[in-house]
Amino acid sequence: MSTSISSSIRIPSTTRVLGNGLRVVAHQDSGAPIVTVHLMFRAGSRDERPGRTGLAHLLEHLFFEGSQHAPKGHFDDVLERVGGTNNGTTWLDRTNYYETVPTHAVEVPLWLERDRLGFFLPILTGEVLELQRGVVMNERRQVYENRPYGMADERLHELLFPDAHPYSWPTIGYMRDLEQITLDDAREFYQTYYTPGNAVLVFAGDIAPERAFELAEKYLGDLPAGPVLETQPAPPLPASPGGVREEMEDDVSFPRVHQAFAVPGYGTPDWIALDVLAYLLADGDSSRLQRALVRDGRLAQDIDSYLYPTALCGLFGIVGTARSEIEPQALEQAVRQVLDDVIRDGVTEAEVTGAIRRVRRDLVSELATMEERADTLAYAATVLGDADAIHGVLDGYANVTAADVQRVAATYLSPDRAATLVVIPGEEEEDEEVRDAA
Amino acid sequence: MQPETIPFFPAPVPGQPPRPRVPRPERWTMDNGLHVVAAPRATVPQVVIRLALPAGSAGDPAEHPGTASLVGHLLTEGTTTYSADELAERLDGLGAAVSASVGHDYAEVEAVFLTETLAEGITLLADVLLRPSFPEREVERVRAESLDAIVGREDEPANVAEDRAALEVFGADHPYGLPAFGTAAGIAGVPREVLADFHERFYRPTGAFLVASGDFDTAELKRLLDEAFGAWSGAPPAITYPAGTELPPRAGKLVLVPWDDAAQSEIRIVGVGLDRRSPDWFAASVANYVLGGSTITGRLGANLREDKGWTYGARSSFQPGVVTGGWSAETAVDVGVTADALREMIGEMRRMTEGLVPDAEIRRAKDAMILSLPRLFETPSGVAGRFVTLEAYGLPDDYWETYADRVEAVTAEDVLRVAERFFAPERTVRVVVGGMAEEG
Repeated sequence: MSTSISSSIRIPSTTRVLGNGLRVVAHQDSGAPIVTVHLMFRAGSRDERPGRTGLAHLLEHLFFEGSQHAPKGHFDDVLERVGGTNNGTTWLDRTNYYETVPTHAVEVPLWLERDRLGFFLPILTGEVLELQRGVVMNERRQVYENRPYGMADERLHELLFPDAHPYSWPTIGYMRDLEQITLDDAREFYQTYYTPGNAVLVFAGDIAPERAFELAEKYLGDLPAGPVLETQPAPPLPASPGGVREEMEDDVSFPRVHQAFAVPGYGTPDWIALDVLAYLLADGDSSRLQRALVRDGRLAQDIDSYLYPTALCGLFGIVGTARSEIEPQALEQAVRQVLDDVIRDGVTEAEVTGAIRRVRRDLVSELATMEERADTLAYAATVLGDADAIHGVLDGYANVTAADVQRVAATYLSPDRAATLVVIPGEEEEDEEVRDAA
Repeated sequence: MQPETIPFFPAPVPGQPPRPRVPRPERWTMDNGLHVVAAPRATVPQVVIRLALPAGSAGDPAEHPGTASLVGHLLTEGTTTYSADELAERLDGLGAAVSASVGHDYAEVEAVFLTETLAEGITLLADVLLRPSFPEREVERVRAESLDAIVGREDEPANVAEDRAALEVFGADHPYGLPAFGTAAGIAGVPREVLADFHERFYRPTGAFLVASGDFDTAELKRLLDEAFGAWSGAPPAITYPAGTELPPRAGKLVLVPWDDAAQSEIRIVGVGLDRRSPDWFAASVANYVLGGSTITGRLGANLREDKGWTYGARSSFQPGVVTGGWSAETAVDVGVTADALREMIGEMRRMTEGLVPDAEIRRAKDAMILSLPRLFETPSGVAGRFVTLEAYGLPDDYWETYADRVEAVTAEDVLRVAERFFAPERTVRVVVGGMAEEG
């Protein structure tokens, strides 16, 4: 048994850079006879251009459609046969692909990734594109359009970020843009971003680092390096002077109030203090917002606060659903009141200590799986530049003080920086019928 | 990258799979009847405890559906030792997460503690379970929240489809036919005294069980549990379930719930399943894996998603229960292809009943089920969950140790036999929430 997540949380790893620029990170833990192989590309929806939103995510779907020697359906099939699972996700800053397999089959995902990186273009046809375009459009319908409040996040991003800001459009993409994406768009995106120099490969689990490096070299070391990407300067933090506010209708029964603020990016000291603030505000029944809005004030059915770990800037959000008969303005004002209290009077050391413990509880839970550890290391390598930089983030929590929490609240969560979106109930009607279908 | 410049080499052949290391927990029964399963595992400094009692919605008073659920939610809302606010402060201060969930059969409290706060955590856990005080003020708040949640739930077509499907299979007189959280009328009308009485009668150690997994010392756990739960005693009333049926009342029918401006139709094809302890459970699991156990590679997903591009996913599953549960296949598709999707799903179900599934497909299902075992036991919460399953459904102690052999023993003939029993379309009801231009 390993205890690498010790009382001070550690995810020790070793990094080696292959000749073609691929960074390989190895983290050994022999708690279970499994290995996660995780490939992350510094390519997300922020790398799309207006008019072609959704491209990064559509390419993720296409990347599961097979490659020359592992044709359609092969990817899932061959992994399931060895008791493995796989998935991929696309977000604002990155796209990732990961497979978890029993130790005996660790070469299987590497071979599949080799084929995808080396022999993908021959299978990328118009037919494949059309099919996955349909799947993605259904994903958009299922996850966003056909779900109550499902369109709120998209609108919130549009309000918080100026039009040209790469975080202003949704990762899933706009329907009209999805329709426009061409085969050439997909090929170009793949050729630009899916290169060894723009990727990190992480092994986490029951495998020795030397063996991991050997396998990485064997399967991916001879792939051509590809073009080197130029680093784009980060756009300035959007400030929404004076604040912005909008109401939108949806087929829902209760109003919901969203507030968002642009804050510094993942891993910075202020981001860490804001994470503690997010827990202090809404995690646990004793937290400030739960107490003021749900338990004492009885204005909201639920209230949550969250912080995106994004690179160009973070996004601090607060979202609550009004109880019946409660006007959303009352809820909105109560949230503002809680934030103003924190800014004016600060918080107690006991609140901060409890919040840090709850952060730690969640980190420990998340990092119990090799998939999460691999993802965390890959993200640190991608966004912070070094997998080991994760320890700066993990250790940073212990140093957060009540004064820090008050300072970041005052600096970033003032009313004139807020984007507010209020979802207002629209109308709906239902009826039913029964037919003989046999 | 240019494919012609990269050498191709053949796919690797995996070696011998690792022997699944299934933890062998220590089990004991306390003097008061509380059964304990302890599976220490020191990978992360965390302890996950799940305590389950046969106090689910099946025990609801007939006139107050939702009682069991409300009682569960009120456990952490104040005890005879601490007010609701004091309790919240103590738990949050420990960095603990304690939450209750109430299903049809069991009420369950899950506690996640950092190892260094285990002793104080168990004391609070016992307080929550044994001594809730149901303060008037918190009862009214949670009642109002629950009523709002029921209204909000109906905003989502998937929930409407889910609830309707259960009702179609089991009917309103069976606990599995109603949502475990009850009905608005039941929750609105249940007096505080009924809640306290339900707790008094049902929250008893006999028939309850506690599963612990994570970084702890078993002897120490035993001492802490004796201290915290030793004085607890008694047995809950037995819950009687209505006799099972083989067929839903509307078998063969289509129930259409129109939804204006739906972006998709939510489709459920549902029927009666089988007893969790049935020897056929393994054959049924293999058969289901082939049909829709995996959302992309199952026959349903391969057809509707990968071949047609009509949906983001399609899957099917047997639902376990203390008595016979259900079976369901589900997807969400473009409104315009609703009838076609239904036809394809029925076709795939029918095909399972018309002949033996090829050996290669059966092999794939078995490998996926058996070789994924190590992953199921990766984390403390994973380990706890696997052993909760054994205790909840009365499965043998060696269930996980013999799981691979039992899956391996399933034959193609077994798969056909269970497919005929559960996947024959005329034995199921179709529920569609959305729109459908023409009939399938």
